[in-house]
Amino acid sequence: MTVPATATLAGVDAAHLRGPGAQERAARRRDARVRWALLLPGFLGLIVSFVFPLIYMIRMSFNRGEPNGVVHDGFTFETYAQALSDPYYWQVTGNTFYMGIITAVLCVAASYPIALFLARSESKWKGVLIALAIAPLLTSAVVRTFGWMVILGNQGLINTTLTSMGLIDTPIQLANSMTGVIIGLVEIFMPYAILVMISGFGRINPQLEEAAGSLGASKARVFGKITLPLSMPGVLMAALMVFVLSISTFITPRLLGGGIVQVLATEVYDQATGLLNWPFAAALSTILLVLFGAVIAIYGAVIKKLGFNS
Amino acid sequence: MTDVKLDLVDLTKQYAPGIAPAVDKLNMQVEEGHLVALLGPSGCGKTTTLRMVSGLMDPSAGAIVVDGRDITRVPVHKRGMGMVFQSYALFPHMNVADNVSFGLQMRKVSKAQQKRRVAEALDMVQLGHLADRQVKALSGGQQQRIALARALVVEPTLLLLDEPLSNLDAKLRETMRTEIRAIQQRTQATTLFVTHDQDEALDMADRIAIMNGGLIEQFGSPTEVYERPSTRFVAHFVGRANLLAAKVVEKVTDANAAGEVRYRLDVAGLGAAGALGRAGLEGTTRTVLVRPHRLVIEKGEGSGVTGTVEATSYTGDAVTMQVRVGEHLLSAETHTLGDHVARPGDSVRVSWAPEGALVIPEATEG
Repeated sequence: MTVPATATLAGVDAAHLRGPGAQERAARRRDARVRWALLLPGFLGLIVSFVFPLIYMIRMSFNRGEPNGVVHDGFTFETYAQALSDPYYWQVTGNTFYMGIITAVLCVAASYPIALFLARSESKWKGVLIALAIAPLLTSAVVRTFGWMVILGNQGLINTTLTSMGLIDTPIQLANSMTGVIIGLVEIFMPYAILVMISGFGRINPQLEEAAGSLGASKARVFGKITLPLSMPGVLMAALMVFVLSISTFITPRLLGGGIVQVLATEVYDQATGLLNWPFAAALSTILLVLFGAVIAIYGAVIKKLGFNS
Repeated sequence: MTDVKLDLVDLTKQYAPGIAPAVDKLNMQVEEGHLVALLGPSGCGKTTTLRMVSGLMDPSAGAIVVDGRDITRVPVHKRGMGMVFQSYALFPHMNVADNVSFGLQMRKVSKAQQKRRVAEALDMVQLGHLADRQVKALSGGQQQRIALARALVVEPTLLLLDEPLSNLDAKLRETMRTEIRAIQQRTQATTLFVTHDQDEALDMADRIAIMNGGLIEQFGSPTEVYERPSTRFVAHFVGRANLLAAKVVEKVTDANAAGEVRYRLDVAGLGAAGALGRAGLEGTTRTVLVRPHRLVIEKGEGSGVTGTVEATSYTGDAVTMQVRVGEHLLSAETHTLGDHVARPGDSVRVSWAPEGALVIPEATEG
C-alpha cells in the first residue's frame, strides 16, 4: 500500500492513535486543507490579475481627468455626471446593446443547426467535425476581422461579384457600417455558441423525440414540440455568452466599423489611448460593467422563471 | 391458430456489411391480445426487433405485417403504436396531463375528448390525482405508470415495452409486473415486451421468445420454455439448470399423450439414469437437463450416486447446495425443513426421478 503524500501534511500519525472517529475527522480536515491548497494558485492569480485592476479601475473612475492626460486624485462623480448627461453616450450605449442583441440572435440562429447536428452525430468523424467547427478560434479575431474587411469592402469579394454580375451599380455599404460589424461578430463568435449549445443539447434524451414520434408526431412537430423547447436552456446560455462577448469586444467594431460605428468598448479605447482621459475611460468601463451585471441578473431571473434551471 | 395480430417475416437487421446481423431472418407470429416477451441476454437482438416493429429503425430485409397489412415502410408516426421506453421518456417540459394527451393532440382529437380520455387513462394507472404535477416531481414508479398511460391512451395497435421495469427497485418491479399484466389483460392490448429478466417474462407473458445471437431459439408458453426447453441455451438461460452430457441408450416406455418417451441414459461421470424426451433420440448423444429442485439429495443411504457437499446457501425458503460428484458440480435446491439439509463436507446420495429430467432435443456439438 502506498501512503498518500498528503498524509504527512495533516499529522495522521497522531490522529490514528485517537481512534477511528478522530481519524475520520482528521482525514476530513486534511481533505479540506488539500482543497484550499489546490485553489490557492488560481485564487491568487485572480486577485492579482482581475480583482486588483478592477478595484483600481473603479477607484480611477472617481478621479477627475483632463484631456491632456493629467489626473487629479479625488473623489467626485463628475465623470459619471458628464457621461450620463451627454446624449452622445446614451447613443453609444444604445448602439452597443443593438449590436449585442442582433449579434446574439443571428449568431445563435446560425449556430443552432450546426450544434444540433454535431451533438446528435454518431459518425466516427464527430470529433474531427467538432474540431473543425471550432477551428476558427485558432486564428485571432484581428486576422478574421481583416478577412471580413477583404470580403465586405467596397472593392471586396461581395461587391465586385455583384457589380460584375450587373446586379448593382454602386457598392453596398457593408464594411465601415454596423451591418459589417455584426456580420463579422456573428462569424467570430459562432464557435463559442456552437460549443455551448453542443454541451446543452447533449443532455436532451433522444428517446424523448422517439417517444413523440411513436405517439404520432411528424419530424417537424417533434422538432417544434420537443427538440426546440428542450434546447432552449442551451440556446439562452449561448445567446447570453455571445451578447456579453460582443458588447465587450473592441477589435471588430473598431476595424470593421471604420471609426463610424461607436460602441462603449471603442469609446473606452479612444478615451484611454487617444484623449488620455483615464478617469472618463474608467467611468465608461464601470458603466459597461454595471450593464453586464444587470443583463446577467435579469436574464438569470427570466430563465429561472421559464423553468429552465434544471 | 386464432387471429394473428403481428407477423414478422424473415425480419433482418444488419447494421453494417461484414458484421453479423443483429437480427437474422426472424419469424414470429403474435396472437391478438397476447403479451409476448422477447427475452435474451444483451446484444441478442431483442431491442433491435422491438425498434423495427415500432418504426424507429428500418429493417435491412423482411416484412412487418400488422392486421394483415404490410407496414414495413410506414414511418414511425403513422404506425399508431404505443411505446414505453426504458427511461420512460416523459416530456420534462410538460405536466402529467399534457404528457398523456400528447398522442391525442397529434391525432387532432377534440379538447373535450382529450380531457376525458386522459382522465380515464390516468385513473387506469391510479394516478388521476397527479394530472397537474410536473413529471420531474414524480417517483420512478409513478413515471412508469404515466408512460404506460401515455402509450395506452391512443389505443395503440400494438403496445411495445422496452425493458420498462429495469429502472425500478426490486420490490416495486414486482408490483408493477402484476399491474402492467392486469392493465394489459383488461385493455386486451397486444403487447411486445423486451426484457432480460426471465422472472418477468415467465410471470407476465402468454408467450416467450427466447432470443440469442439475432435468432429466436424457442417460442412458446412460459411452461414450455421452462419445462421443455428445445436448446441448451434456453435451458441455461431460463431458470437454473444442471446440464449433463449423456448417451441416450434406449427408450423404456412408449410415447405418452405429449409424444414423449422415457429413456435410459448413460450420463458421463454419473452412470445410468432416466429422463423424458421426444421420441426418436435413441443412440444419440444429447444434453440432459435437471433443474436444481428436481435433484433428490439424501443423507446416508439412498439411491443414486455419492457426492460431497461443497457449499450451501440459505435463503430462508430454500437451501441451495453445490454437490461435487466426480467431475460434476451439481446445483441442488431443497426446502429448509426436514433432515435432508446437509452441511459443507457432508457425503450425500444424489439422484433424480426420470420424470424430473429432460433430454434436450438439440444436437450437441462434436
